[in-house]
Amino acid sequence: MKRVDLIVIGAGPSGLSAAIEAAKTGMSVLVFDENARPGGQLFKQIHKFFGSKEHKAKIRGFVIGQQLLKEAEDAGVQVSLESTVIGIYPEREVVVRKYVETPAADGTDPQEPSSRHEAVFHYKADAILVATGASENMVMFDGWTLPGVMGAGAAQTLMNLHGVRPGKRVLMLGSGNVGLVVSFQLLQAGCQVAALVDAAPKIGGYGVHAAKVARCGVPFYLSHTIKKVEGTNHVTGVTIAEVDSHFQFIPGTEKHFDVDTVCVAVGLSPMSQLLKMAGCEMDNSGKGGGQIPVVDAAGQTSVPGIFAAGDVAGIEEASSAMIEGRMAGIRIAEYLGYETKEAGEAEFSKEEASLEGLRQGMFAPQNRGMKIEKTEEGIPISTNLLKHGFVADDEIGRFPGVTHKAGIHPVMECTQNIPCNPCQDACAKHCIHIGLNITALPAVEEGSTCIGCGMCVASCSGQAIFLVNEHTKEGCAEVTLPYEFLPLPKAGDEGFGMSRSGKPVCRAKVVKVRTSKAFDHTALLTIEVPEDMAMKARFYRSRLECTGGDSVIAQSRIKGAEVSQNGATGDRPCESKAAAESEKREEGAAI
Amino acid sequence: MAGSDLRISEHPILGQTKEGREVTFTYDGRPLTGYEGEPIAAALRAAGVMVHRYTAKKHTPRGIFCAIGRCTDCVMIVDGEPNVRTCMTPLREGMKVQTQYGVSSRPEVTP
Ligand SMILES: Cc1cc2nc3c(=O)[nH]c(=O)nc-3n(C[C@H](O)[C@H](O)[C@H](O)COP(=O)(O)OP(=O)(O)OC[C@H]3O[C@@H](n4cnc5c(N)ncnc54)[C@H](O)[C@@H]3O)c2cc1C
Ligand code: SF4
Ligand code: SF4
Ligand code: FES
Repeated sequence: MKRVDLIVIGAGPSGLSAAIEAAKTGMSVLVFDENARPGGQLFKQIHKFFGSKEHKAKIRGFVIGQQLLKEAEDAGVQVSLESTVIGIYPEREVVVRKYVETPAADGTDPQEPSSRHEAVFHYKADAILVATGASENMVMFDGWTLPGVMGAGAAQTLMNLHGVRPGKRVLMLGSGNVGLVVSFQLLQAGCQVAALVDAAPKIGGYGVHAAKVARCGVPFYLSHTIKKVEGTNHVTGVTIAEVDSHFQFIPGTEKHFDVDTVCVAVGLSPMSQLLKMAGCEMDNSGKGGGQIPVVDAAGQTSVPGIFAAGDVAGIEEASSAMIEGRMAGIRIAEYLGYETKEAGEAEFSKEEASLEGLRQGMFAPQNRGMKIEKTEEGIPISTNLLKHGFVADDEIGRFPGVTHKAGIHPVMECTQNIPCNPCQDACAKHCIHIGLNITALPAVEEGSTCIGCGMCVASCSGQAIFLVNEHTKEGCAEVTLPYEFLPLPKAGDEGFGMSRSGKPVCRAKVVKVRTSKAFDHTALLTIEVPEDMAMKARFYRSRLECTGGDSVIAQSRIKGAEVSQNGATGDRPCESKAAAESEKREEGAAI
Repeated sequence: MAGSDLRISEHPILGQTKEGREVTFTYDGRPLTGYEGEPIAAALRAAGVMVHRYTAKKHTPRGIFCAIGRCTDCVMIVDGEPNVRTCMTPLREGMKVQTQYGVSSRPEVTP
């Protein structure tokens, strides 16, 4: 039986972080993960993370994963992959099932492939950290087992790890951060998202995540759920219907969508079975998203020498999982005498403060399920955002990031208190103010002068910052927006300005496209729009996207759009008053 | 061709998709191609295959559900061995992949 100082179960962000801290003190650390590659959920996250600098904000999840792997390697952490821990037994014995390769019978015939066998191995350690993460919850509806119905995480795995779209047209069930983030990623992968549906009356995830999906034209159906998924051998369509306050279907509210895929993102449950099996005291109150172990601040369970960190100890996020992992790693080193109490304490409290910083704001664990009506600043929150995924035209003006000014200036459409501040750090000209409390809403710093460098736009994890010049020349305005899709439009292209709700509201001309290493794959598109659209146009679609296939434009009554479809492009986009007029009617109907 | 309209050839964030060596395998006797090392399930999805197995009792179809080896919905018969989780098993040249009916490769055998 092999012996090490510490065994970590799970090579996700929490497990790796703990292993790094422990290995740095000279401990021998062995990490098991059942996957073929380490990193847990992190490698599927392709968006820029929230938080502040110390939490690696504005860095994309998979890049944080790469940094973590490098750090683990440098610290001498050993990771054993395709190794599933099947049990923890007394005296900290860990039983692992691994795949082993056996060459073909005689080892010479190349036609006879080697075979993979499962074998069981035993290990022993002085301490064990369980960092097994979480699994996706499911809901049962008519047709839920049909091929084509899958977890949102499964869709994410297929497209972001394996480069395969889960389907062509998808309906997403669940409006928490996972549902919102995966919907956006589906769009980035080139899938169509037919609708985003949630039985709850309010969107559960961050407003900024919802807004990026809404402005791409994805309709949100809150207080709706799936009635039936159709198809005999695989999904061919889905019917949703509205539910009342007791979650009962309201007859006559059915809506049908032709889709080939249904993604389910209805929450995660801690994978705490191993801890239960090891005899750890469990907390069944449901506050951590399911059954979680009872742990102290360092993650120590009721069984001496067994620790837990990350999602398995309560569903949170990758940023907090990494800090919890580091805290557990430090405590384990102390526990086994590899680190002095004093040295450990200093590091521990630094991590603790960092964790505290993340657990603030409207979405903090202690605020779950609470009805929040005003921001910390006392501003009424946007109700349209919670229902439809975008802030309405008559609401946006009340937030401190949205101001009017001559010349180019930033507009931060970030309207909820979330722990995030990269925009403040990004601006060398100090145009954006959040202050020391990282959940405060970003505000425009009075008297500052924006030079239009675009760093704030590209750094914003929520893609919520736009640069606006409300008057460039007679009748014209310019809007610069973040763009993370292919193909990338080119300067000179003509298309449409889209509203926050994803409806075409005016003709738009691309005047500038900026990409740079510093922008990290977020392109900055500057579009020219009619002056009165400066505070309304928030996305761009090319004429081709709007006229082909599932045409958004074809169904709309926008006059400017018809003109341009017919190729009569005599007038400049910003002079097209007719489009602006028609937009007002459209928007009025949408809200 | 391993390429299909479900393959993402270029991604706005991840860039060009790294592809392994193109290999040929069979699905219920039909030759298909995929990339070496990718999960069998990914190659099947890209080739338009959605049904991996039929359940033993009610003969209802199952396909990719969790994609991380937890649900067993994606199990198939691979090189004669039943219950292989195709979302976790890397594709190799010449693999013989068959739809699983209950635990067998033939529909009529299931009770
Ligand atoms: C779609 C989506 C979007 C998200 N977006 C964000 C975001 O923007 N910001 C953010 O901070 N967080 C985000 N998260 C959450 C974040 O990914 C998780 O909170 C985080 O990964 C938890 O880390 P972990 O180390 O606890 O677990 P995981 O990352 O889940 O890692 C656990 C690992 O343990 C392995 N394992 C489990 N059981 C065993 C066993 N018995 N034997 C061996 N190995 C085992 C698993 O295979 C896995 O690799 C998102 C999650 C999802 C699903
Ligand atoms: S564009 Fe540049 S100068 Fe203007 S607010 Fe953003 S970061 Fe600051
Ligand atoms: S505006 Fe600032 S605080 Fe809001 S999401 Fe963007 S970077 Fe974060
Ligand atoms: S899809 Fe769940 S085990 Fe493969």
